[in-house]
Amino acid sequence: MIGTIRGSRRVSIAAGALLGALLLLALFAPLVAPYGVDALDLAHRRGAPSPQHWFGTDELGRDLLTRILFGARISLAIGLVSAALSVAIGVTIGAVAGYAGRWTDDLCMRVADAMLSVPRLPLLMISAAVLSPSVPLLIALVSAAGWMETARVVRAEVQSIKTRDFVTAARAMGATSGRVLWRHVLPGVATTAAVATTLAVGRGILLESALSFFGVGVQPPTASWGNMLYQAQTTMSTEPWLGVFPGVFIFVTVLCSNVLGDAWAEGGRARE
Amino acid sequence: MTFRIAGRVLFAAMLGALACARSSGRGPSNDLLIVGYDREPDTMNRYATHILEDIQTGVIEGLVTTDEKMNVVPVLASEVPTQANGGVKMRADGGMDVIWKLRPGVKWHDGHSHTSADVKFTVDAINKGDWKPESTDGFDRIESVETPDSLTAVVHYKEVYAPYEMQFVRGTLPKHLLEGRDIDKAADYNRNPLGTGPYHVAEWKTGEYILLEKAKDYWRGPEYPKINRILFRFISNTTTRINQLKAGEVHMVALVPWDKVRELKSTPAIRLNQVLGNGYEHVTLNEKRFPPFADVRVRRALAHAIDRQLIVNTILDSLVTTVNGPIQPLSWAYEPNVAKYDYDPAKAKALLDDAGWKMGATGVRAKDGTPLSFTIITQAGFAIRENVAQAIQKQFKDVGVDAKVKLIDGTSISTVWFSGDFDAMLHWWQSGADPEITLFFAADRTPPAGRNINYLKDDALTKLLYASDRTVDQSARRDLLRRAQMRVADLVPELILYNTSKIDAVPATLRHFTGNPTNAGPFWNVHEWEFPTAGR
Amino acid sequence: MLRFFTRRAAQAVPLLLVVSLLVFVLIHAAPGGPLALYLDNPNVRPQDIERLRRAMGLDRSLAAQYVAWLGAFVRGDWGYSYADGRPVLDRLLERVPATLELVGTSTVAALIIALVVGVLAAARRGFDRVATGVAIAGISLPVFWFGLVLQLAFANALGWLPSSGRSSFGGGDVGDMLAHLVLPAAVLAVAHAAGWSRYLRGSMREALALPFTRTARAGGVSERRIVLRHALRNALLPFVTVVLLDASIMASGAVVTESVFAWPGVGSLFTEALAKRDYTVLMAFLMCASVAVVILNLVADVAVYALDPRTREAA
Repeated sequence: MIGTIRGSRRVSIAAGALLGALLLLALFAPLVAPYGVDALDLAHRRGAPSPQHWFGTDELGRDLLTRILFGARISLAIGLVSAALSVAIGVTIGAVAGYAGRWTDDLCMRVADAMLSVPRLPLLMISAAVLSPSVPLLIALVSAAGWMETARVVRAEVQSIKTRDFVTAARAMGATSGRVLWRHVLPGVATTAAVATTLAVGRGILLESALSFFGVGVQPPTASWGNMLYQAQTTMSTEPWLGVFPGVFIFVTVLCSNVLGDAWAEGGRARE
Repeated sequence: MTFRIAGRVLFAAMLGALACARSSGRGPSNDLLIVGYDREPDTMNRYATHILEDIQTGVIEGLVTTDEKMNVVPVLASEVPTQANGGVKMRADGGMDVIWKLRPGVKWHDGHSHTSADVKFTVDAINKGDWKPESTDGFDRIESVETPDSLTAVVHYKEVYAPYEMQFVRGTLPKHLLEGRDIDKAADYNRNPLGTGPYHVAEWKTGEYILLEKAKDYWRGPEYPKINRILFRFISNTTTRINQLKAGEVHMVALVPWDKVRELKSTPAIRLNQVLGNGYEHVTLNEKRFPPFADVRVRRALAHAIDRQLIVNTILDSLVTTVNGPIQPLSWAYEPNVAKYDYDPAKAKALLDDAGWKMGATGVRAKDGTPLSFTIITQAGFAIRENVAQAIQKQFKDVGVDAKVKLIDGTSISTVWFSGDFDAMLHWWQSGADPEITLFFAADRTPPAGRNINYLKDDALTKLLYASDRTVDQSARRDLLRRAQMRVADLVPELILYNTSKIDAVPATLRHFTGNPTNAGPFWNVHEWEFPTAGR
Repeated sequence: MLRFFTRRAAQAVPLLLVVSLLVFVLIHAAPGGPLALYLDNPNVRPQDIERLRRAMGLDRSLAAQYVAWLGAFVRGDWGYSYADGRPVLDRLLERVPATLELVGTSTVAALIIALVVGVLAAARRGFDRVATGVAIAGISLPVFWFGLVLQLAFANALGWLPSSGRSSFGGGDVGDMLAHLVLPAAVLAVAHAAGWSRYLRGSMREALALPFTRTARAGGVSERRIVLRHALRNALLPFVTVVLLDASIMASGAVVTESVFAWPGVGSLFTEALAKRDYTVLMAFLMCASVAVVILNLVADVAVYALDPRTREAA
């Protein structure tokens, strides 16, 4: 049912493995991390990478590797949950719009268009600045800004699925719209949804890190990859490691999710 | 094929651009000094602006100013009126009269003379209430102004107003230009104000810079100012501003953030000038919102729990000094002999035990089931303050106090503390040259009437503070304020940390730059600055 | 055709109204706001704050404020910036040239790169692998981090290029301005070229898989001609459409890049206004950006409708 992973198999498996490893590290951060996440050490501030501190230390002497591991928990949580949420919303709206058609479709698509017309990052920045979000609220914001693409794609797929024979047959046998949607239509969009989720993870992580970079996302002292970059901005010339390492992690995570999503989509396309 | 050629052309163009870009800006000289300034003024009107008046200082002079030692010195006034020289007289009805004698021979840049009519006009305009100046403190206590002659202005105050010296630190509005006009809409004045100072505005390119040029017939003499032109470039991004300073594209930056000082120490063309500031950083303890703070033992314990010197030596690179009171060492009213709270975690723990806060299993103290747990807010976007808050959090944890740190952005935070909606706050107060602290500690000056955001209610202190406001006799005032400072230190309504030094980055060759701890700003004596010319 | 255009244009109006409502409600939900700046100043009395509140119209109901604002906005009166009291329209307009310079240059560069890479990737298998890899990397890059890293490398470490700003004072010659443009334009160009080249490659591959290519090859037409003349021409329209539809992403990218490089354009005005809670500027920015996006979308729709007969059948 779910499309097979084709394309350059080794690359996508490597990407998946890397993501999995990151997830595990994030999950077990409290056990794996060499230091406590709040362990200040004012005597050893701004240390360059060394055997005791592989990624160096920050302005307060906290171990950067530890902060990155704990930051992974926040950034990955936001990425994963917001991806799941935004795809769930997108699938629901897209399926309803595509299946029901006429004014429901029109309404849904108009709302999607309105939200797509406003540049996403500035809109999110203002929202985050206004609402001073906690992590759950941030997830809500990022999800609310990301359902439109999925909705569009699902709507198109549903529109084509609903003309297929098996759907017509089900309806002829008296199945209600809800049942048809749930039983027959939605499984058809499963692959699309899965791909969308994978890609949405990367997008969500990028959005959260951008918001945190501008100081309106995750607030210090809680660590997130994005707000570590925000704090590193002013010291890039003297302590570059503070900015380079968190950014590398963001980059690699998003890269893996995009590689995976892309390979999945490619495989799905090849199947057709 | 075309691609390859295009590629080569592009590459060559880029190399050319790089070659041109290599040369950095010209150095500073008596012809032009370029200042990297952090923001564009909203208006050049000193009374209406709500930012610091650095650029305006060179154009519009006050009757007095405060020098680098926080002494009040006369500028457009010929002397500072005091009781001793007969400039201040008490009236029988409880009011007071201040007689300002103006310096003769001072002309506005358009040739008109500066007279006492301008002083009267200024007071009347501000008190009329139909335009919205930002800085009006004290004007509402003025009943009327008389002008017996063109160089004398007698200001009648309704009551004794201790900070009278600073009343006209922002100078005067030119009557002949602004009389009868809506001052907010007077764009000619607000963009290119008429002043008496060493400079006038030659050009204000919005969004980019303001260029000041030497004024003709400056009253101090034709040899002043020494520097012909000063250009203020607006660069709001701090990192950019400092980078441009290092690259020589701007020559000077005022108020360098402390965490940038390290980078600049190794720039040979720059000298870092440091003065003690007239402000202090502290942790406000809101005893109204968090009742455990009402117990003085808790407050004293918290004071002992903070290792201020370590914070100063590490996070602040030893750029500031610890202080023990709200009035700073430079002030004439400063009292050094007050209760001090050295870093002593054992004592902190003892005090907390004494107050009934027993250590719990999780490492947090509790009393009657309530944990000693609160939130410290501080302004977001200031790396140093964020770091200090976290260091304090850890030091509190070491004695069993659980403090959370919450960052709030710069504009929301004022609303938060103004409404008293916080437990504790890491904050700073920047004072005026006059040592009035009634606003911050009197029992009836909680917001919105004042800034007593500790919600401290101490009758003895309140009495002392109001008494000190009601006398202009400096020695009497000093004594009252001395006792007030001692009382504040005993009560510890807030945890006083360190003085906020001001560090300015100036060209190493610039002479006569002193910096200034007050709001008079580093440009207070801009007319004196000069660069040595060859051969001297 | 005209009917199509007017219908779509008419649909844009309620769209923009919804956007304006969204933007307005959002911004006014903020605690703090323009008056917060005055609270920090011990010299400002409560009466002054009340006076200012009334003068700024902040004491009326939210609905009244919205209607007033909308009416004024449509008339071209975008209010005054809270930060410096100047008309918002002026503040925005004076920054537009800088943004146009940056976005224009980077878009052209991105288009060129995307065209070259996309076409080559579609035509040659080996290059395709590499190009895909690089493109996915480009899409995954956090733009602001990339900017910081380039700054670190080329400005701080190597000292070859200026790290920020649009020009040095007094040295506004072409060479100097070009030097300042290189890094921010490079960042934006890479960010966009990555996605665009992928899209072009995709639609080129689709075009190349169509029956006409086989016919053309059988007929002896050279490979190059097939790729460039036939496939590219087919793929170009959807490609341009995608580029136009990416307008809102370009706005976001401009905000980030301008902030990192302190480029004095509309994007950095946005971040400055955000820090100061300068409502009027923020709203004007969002509205203008949204209007621009809507217009560009309209243009894209009309272009597709006019130039691609297939869509007309479906409509």
